[in-house]
Amino acid sequence: MTAQPVRLGLLSAAHVHADGYLDVLAAMPGVALVGLWDDDEGRGSAAAARHRTAFFPTEGALLEQLDGVVVASVNSEHRRLTELAAEARVHVLCEKPLATRVADARAMVATCTTAGITLMTAFPMRFSPVLLELQRALRDGTLGDLACFEGVNTGQLPDHDRPWFTDPVLAGGGAIIDHVVHLADAYRWLLGSEVVEVVAVANRILQRHRAGVETGGLISLRFADGVFATIDCSWSKPPGYPTWGGLRIEAVGSAGVIAADAFRQRLDLYGSAEADVSWPAWGSDANVAMIGEFVTAIRKGRAPTVTGLDGLRALEIVDAAYRSIETGEPVPLEIQRPDA
Amino acid sequence: MTGAHDVTVHPPRLRVGIVGAGFMAETHLAALAAEDVQAIVYNRDADRATALAGRFGAGLATTFEELLEAVDVVDVCTATHRHATFAIAAAAAGRHVIVEKPLARTLEDGTAILSACERAGVRLFVAHVVRYFPEYEAAHRLVASGAIGDPAVVRLKRASFRPRHGAGHWLFDTAQSGGMILDLMVHDFDYARWVAGDVVSVHCRSVGIERPQLGVDHAFAILTHASGAISHITGSWAYAAPTFRTALEIAGSHGLIEHDSESSKPIVSYLHPGRADHGDGDAGQAVGLPASPVREDPYRLELREFLRAIAEGTPARVTARDGLEALRIALAADESARTGRVVRLPPTPVPEVAR
Repeated sequence: MTAQPVRLGLLSAAHVHADGYLDVLAAMPGVALVGLWDDDEGRGSAAAARHRTAFFPTEGALLEQLDGVVVASVNSEHRRLTELAAEARVHVLCEKPLATRVADARAMVATCTTAGITLMTAFPMRFSPVLLELQRALRDGTLGDLACFEGVNTGQLPDHDRPWFTDPVLAGGGAIIDHVVHLADAYRWLLGSEVVEVVAVANRILQRHRAGVETGGLISLRFADGVFATIDCSWSKPPGYPTWGGLRIEAVGSAGVIAADAFRQRLDLYGSAEADVSWPAWGSDANVAMIGEFVTAIRKGRAPTVTGLDGLRALEIVDAAYRSIETGEPVPLEIQRPDA
Repeated sequence: MTGAHDVTVHPPRLRVGIVGAGFMAETHLAALAAEDVQAIVYNRDADRATALAGRFGAGLATTFEELLEAVDVVDVCTATHRHATFAIAAAAAGRHVIVEKPLARTLEDGTAILSACERAGVRLFVAHVVRYFPEYEAAHRLVASGAIGDPAVVRLKRASFRPRHGAGHWLFDTAQSGGMILDLMVHDFDYARWVAGDVVSVHCRSVGIERPQLGVDHAFAILTHASGAISHITGSWAYAAPTFRTALEIAGSHGLIEHDSESSKPIVSYLHPGRADHGDGDAGQAVGLPASPVREDPYRLELREFLRAIAEGTPARVTARDGLEALRIALAADESARTGRVVRLPPTPVPEVAR
């Protein structure tokens, strides 16, 4: 049976993940990579040339040829581009965080629901074989009763030729909005429970000469089922670190502790310069399975396993974290039933 | 050292009185064994004191008063809630004082110990041994030298199994020990303060998960320092034996220090089970201790520095106030864990103890 290829494209190559997504789209069986649009024509044409695809000068021209689109713009543009896609009845896989403000994320979920299109949030960690292994251990009782998670999603300051990452308007904040969402979503997914309270602290000491937003942050979460968790979202890996960063979770239960490192599958590569070390990854690329799920959801006309609502929930946690930093107090979050 | 010593033979040697006959008394006696000091043991359980003194060739005192008469320094290795009684009595008798961490069970007791030592004009040392572990000392030295700029985000982990004492042991009675937060996490509260300065607020969550009836065995604490730095401290007795894992990450404005005992083990055994006495590395010890083969035992370095400070009137790297501040942070963490609130630590005037 040969199905029609699913026609996919990219709205904006502003995000550091854009190149990785284009690699996956170009190589994926059953997918036709139609092209990309970018408001920066130089950046867009260069990305199109690198991936041997077409550059479209307007969003509309691209969208009218697509079944689904990956939005990888600056965070503050997610809403506008998603709404354009919804108008064109094109399914959306949106980069995290879903938006820079909770109200925007809520509007995106509502718009896509009304338009009857899929809105998926790019949370690749749900597709990491390492975290899937951890999920199995939690489900099959290996760890006994689960008590808490300790999570570390630290990295380098991601402003290398992408200065918007440290722009409070375009990015929506700093290390907290950039990194908290991954672990917040992973915890929600592993637990099947919602956050009821957030405590957070932050500072701007790391790389402070390069950033006007918070670069260090520690978040503490309490879930409705009693489990608690922490997240270190700091941009604490200096430029000399051998890789961009990483994501680790330690799960503590009545049977002991399981430590998972989603990016531990790596080589040690030494170059000829002094202290020239890097860590090329050899683990499975979670983006492949994530985009595969987006394609399957479109093909089968079903909801993806990770949705816009998940993106909204993660952003609500981020928003509560910023409020806790402001007040220095715990911030309660109402347990919200899925609205859709 | 062989056999019991007569306490009057070597007057110039420092005479150190160990109070207690438990795990820390034993650890301190072992550390003192190679030093040129006279050790004398007192414990209210005379049989245990006799056995312990015999093992290390130490002297024996049958009453605390007899111990006070016979020594220059009193090293309090009792249960935490009894530190204050012995430390204050030792100070009142004009003896210098070493107290195992945490300084005391309560802030009132801790402050009273500092005041008593100040009044008596004797030295007070709190045995925060982590400052003497070579990896922690090296990391502190790097921070102090400016290698990573200003500390920004500090992560410290100390994770082991619940000590294999009986359910009635004082360590598992919160009223006596303060539990895991005061007994174990206090190490890293002190270290966080050593590298990033005074702490102004504390948030903590804790759980008793492995054997809930024995109290808290896992906790996270998030500290805010006066400098603006933030710290994440993990303490655990929820790991499987014989784990004793320690880890540190100190991220600064210009660099990062990482250390994990799991990835820095210099010798690892892959032995067939049953072919050696301790093939799994678990000698069945009662309490986990971090260990990496180094020439100088951290406990020996610590006590040597304290005794030298007493003999020569020099400072030690851990002051009496450091011990009191670590206790304040630990008590704040315990309060936060119980109430769910963020606990502020206003700077409070602290009696300055003779250096």
